[in-house]
Amino acid sequence: MKVRSAVRRTGLVVAIAALAMSAGCAKKEQGEVQADGVKLVEKGKLTVCTHLPYAPFQSKDASGKVIGFDVELMDLVAKDLGVEQTIIDTPFEGIKSGQDLNAGKCDAAAAGMTITEERKKVMDFSAPYFDATQALLVKTGKPYKSLDDLKGKKLGVQAATTGRDYAKKYADEKGLQLVEFEDLAAEQQALANGQIEAAINDLPVWTEYIKEHQGGFEVAAEFDTGEQYGFSVKKDGNPELLKKINDALAKAKQDGTYDTIYAKWIGKKPNA
Amino acid sequence: MKLRRRQRERLSLWLQYLAFVAVIAVVVLAADWGRLREAFFRVDIIESMFPTVITVALRNTILYTLGAFAFGLVFGTILALMRLSRVAPYRWVATAYIELFRGLPALLVLFLVGYGIPIAFPEREIPGGVFGSISIGLGLTAAAYMAETIRAGIQAVPKGQMEAARTLGMSHFTAMRTIVIPQAFRIVIPPLTNELILLTKDSSLAYVLGVTAQTIEVTKFGRDTLNDRVNATPLLVAGLTYLIITLPLSQLVRRLELRYAKAR
Repeated sequence: MKVRSAVRRTGLVVAIAALAMSAGCAKKEQGEVQADGVKLVEKGKLTVCTHLPYAPFQSKDASGKVIGFDVELMDLVAKDLGVEQTIIDTPFEGIKSGQDLNAGKCDAAAAGMTITEERKKVMDFSAPYFDATQALLVKTGKPYKSLDDLKGKKLGVQAATTGRDYAKKYADEKGLQLVEFEDLAAEQQALANGQIEAAINDLPVWTEYIKEHQGGFEVAAEFDTGEQYGFSVKKDGNPELLKKINDALAKAKQDGTYDTIYAKWIGKKPNA
Repeated sequence: MKLRRRQRERLSLWLQYLAFVAVIAVVVLAADWGRLREAFFRVDIIESMFPTVITVALRNTILYTLGAFAFGLVFGTILALMRLSRVAPYRWVATAYIELFRGLPALLVLFLVGYGIPIAFPEREIPGGVFGSISIGLGLTAAAYMAETIRAGIQAVPKGQMEAARTLGMSHFTAMRTIVIPQAFRIVIPPLTNELILLTKDSSLAYVLGVTAQTIEVTKFGRDTLNDRVNATPLLVAGLTYLIITLPLSQLVRRLELRYAKAR
């Protein structure tokens, strides 16, 4: 009997603790609202969601620091706000579905992300900051020149990217066998291993890869899809921050900072 | 006022019910149901996922699970016998293997199988594509767990069984094969079924290998549809699809355990 009542008492304590906890975490911590109305999920920090690696837009350097084109542009925004940028590495689905922003995981997303109509429905995009083209990467010496040459062959794509959507659009028509990879690194490795014959992704990403693997790979075809990258914030959630991002971009384009960053990461100057 | 013991117990019982109801009420009232339904329960999206979610995704999930289970069962039995062997190096190897693979995340093992083997043997490939890789990848980990379960099962068979068999003139091997192992397996069926349930869910790791429209499994299918529709409903569908497999299996485990308890 004694044992049983002890068990009951513990049960009661657990139940009360659970109740207390659910009441306790009902309100999320508020973060920070700056003087001009910019809302930040964490005080003193501009929290940015991205999916690594995506060189040259974002990747880790030897010391583990996240660097890249997007990172430097967001740094400009953080500097204007007088805060530090912190970067969260999270699956791309969470970013492009808008859930990371909705859930308050981060203030903004900067993930080499193409502005699409679908995505516009779930988040607010900044002005475009980069013109992207899709490209087909193959091992040097392979006879593939276009998607038509890949009939019945395995074509690698990265999950949740516009390259994947582009390839999927033509998959049936051209008889392509799409293999989806979780991230860029897996896609590259599979191509290097010969598990796939070719891989689609954004051109600058392949340019960077070719640079690091001299002679091993080449871009077989480019697909001009008219895509443009944009940063994003929570849908209708933070117009002040969006304005700050657009202002920082406009200022950088005007005073030449953008060109410097572009030359550093992408290489050739942007066509003005 | 001094309560009698019965009254005290009653009061404590009521308080427990009250706390339970209060917790549920807080959660239910605090949630934003409108937004939840918009994010997780769009009927048009649910409809668009059928029948592929069953005919392709669920089918592959079951195939991967069974492949890994079969690999793990065979390999696990061998490991269990090695652990019980009189040959010392067998015991060392089996123990080292079990400790190593119980300590590694299945995701890493799968990655090593999927990307390491093609690097090591560029001219060869694992037969069966994704199915082969995942059967081996998950099977390697499952074997470590199953080996321990099966070993315990073999040891749970009374010693007298082996002794009696040997007295009848059977060799150690024959006695093991025809007398001990069959009884051991009856004992370990419930825990092995639990392993099957775990493998069902682990088959979702197939995504690291890179999957095609034909080799897609339930979780990846859900995530892909999420990408296409920019809505989280597919995740709910995927979750419910797993329950089609796992709920009957756990029911089965309960039945088997009950039957085994009665038989004793």
